[in-house]
Amino acid sequence: MKTRLNSAVLVLSVILASGFFAGVIHAQQNGAGHASDFASVEYFGAPHQQQMKSRLSGAEAQPLAGGLLVIKQLKLETFNTNGSPATVVEAPECVYDTLKGEASSPGHLQLRTFDGIFRVEGDGFLWRQGDHLLTISNQVRTVIENTAEKKTVL
Amino acid sequence: MKIIHLIALLVVAGGWNLRAQTNPTAAPAHAPTRIDSDRVDFDLNTHQAVYQGNVRVDDPQMKLTCTHLVVYLPESGGRPNRIVAETNVVIDFADEKSQKMHATSDKSVYVYAIQNGATNETVTLTGNAKVENAQGWLTGEPIVWDRASNHLTATNQKMIFRQNLDGAKTGTNLPPGTIQNIDRLTLPPSQP
Repeated sequence: MKTRLNSAVLVLSVILASGFFAGVIHAQQNGAGHASDFASVEYFGAPHQQQMKSRLSGAEAQPLAGGLLVIKQLKLETFNTNGSPATVVEAPECVYDTLKGEASSPGHLQLRTFDGIFRVEGDGFLWRQGDHLLTISNQVRTVIENTAEKKTVL
Repeated sequence: MKIIHLIALLVVAGGWNLRAQTNPTAAPAHAPTRIDSDRVDFDLNTHQAVYQGNVRVDDPQMKLTCTHLVVYLPESGGRPNRIVAETNVVIDFADEKSQKMHATSDKSVYVYAIQNGATNETVTLTGNAKVENAQGWLTGEPIVWDRASNHLTATNQKMIFRQNLDGAKTGTNLPPGTIQNIDRLTLPPSQP
């Protein structure tokens, strides 16, 4: 019986996930179901409109009322105008406000530049997509690797 | 007055070594630099990180505290090319003899760049800039620490010494010597 119940839950989840993945915007609006492999992409303005500016993704997204999404395993990637990667931000969970374009959480967050030389982590954050500003509000810890050709940063 | 100048310069050349090198008791030079603070605002458009509140920088060669710190990262990646510390800037480091050095200023600007194959790396202290050690202290506007060549340069500086020729503490036989109104003085690194 337990096995049957687990199987039913699994099938239901797959159905909901498939439906949500097929239309992320629609699912956000009706507040039903959840999605896997959620992603929201932003592009640069002209003349770099073909280049991706940021990509916000998550392993799972659960819609809430008011245009909110609970995103598990958040990953925010930013890019330069030449298409090269710039930074990667990761957090176990956050709430993404689709109307304001803001992601926030009282939980942990990690940021690193693409080469890993500059890394920041802390607790409690707010990401404002409009101005590309990330605020980490507590216990901010930064590590800057000192590469071989240069002894120290300061 | 000339004798006082000469005595003071001898003390500078022989007793107050301002060449800063890795403290042998500290972390190895390739160890990472760490910055702790209460808050950071990271502008991912301009690649600037603005730290506020109890900012503490722990570098293999120095420790720095301040209220406000901005780190500028190059778009192409790599290490920060400019770091600006403001308000109640305090820097502690050690020279090659493990002698403690203590610097304070309103503002400190670190610049790192490679131009024509040469590394330019300076820390410029402005606003009540002061560097102090056991022998005395140096003020200037600005005080520039060239990290690549390990030169300390002070403009419009004033130097006050706590020691006399016998190495006795201030307040014993001789008053501390003072040099004033020198437009610019560069202190080369001491010989090993």
